[in-house]
Amino acid sequence: MAKTLELEFVTEYGKPARLSIENPKEPIEEAVVKAAMEEMIASGVFTSTNGNFASVKGARVIDRNVTEYEIV
Amino acid sequence: MARAIIATSKLRLVFQVGMDDDGKPLLKAKTFNNIQKLATADQLLQAAQAVINLSNETLSSIERVDSSELLA
Repeated sequence: MAKTLELEFVTEYGKPARLSIENPKEPIEEAVVKAAMEEMIASGVFTSTNGNFASVKGARVIDRNVTEYEIV
Repeated sequence: MARAIIATSKLRLVFQVGMDDDGKPLLKAKTFNNIQKLATADQLLQAAQAVINLSNETLSSIERVDSSELLA
């Protein structure tokens, strides 16, 4: 099971921007995620084609399950 | 005198995911494109820390990857 934490931001022009983190620390705590996202915005290093990251929109975990079948 | 002007900046987090049979560390890198060219080392470290806080991986190193355009 491969889990990915997807952080959703809003840029200075009001457009969405995403940043993903593989294998996130669990359990996910909303307050910790929010604080880390605010820290990322405060650092001012992340940008996108739609402008710099300006505010926190949300976060979600994507759980990907792959089942392989041996078909000869 | 020739000049080198930074064209793109990337932030690269290298994680250690295990050991191979010879006891050498197995590394996995996560690269963040779209980094402000003007970001300082302090800012990048702050952003990297925020990302690492949410990750379950073992950090090996934090790298900055710049590519510059050379002008005569």
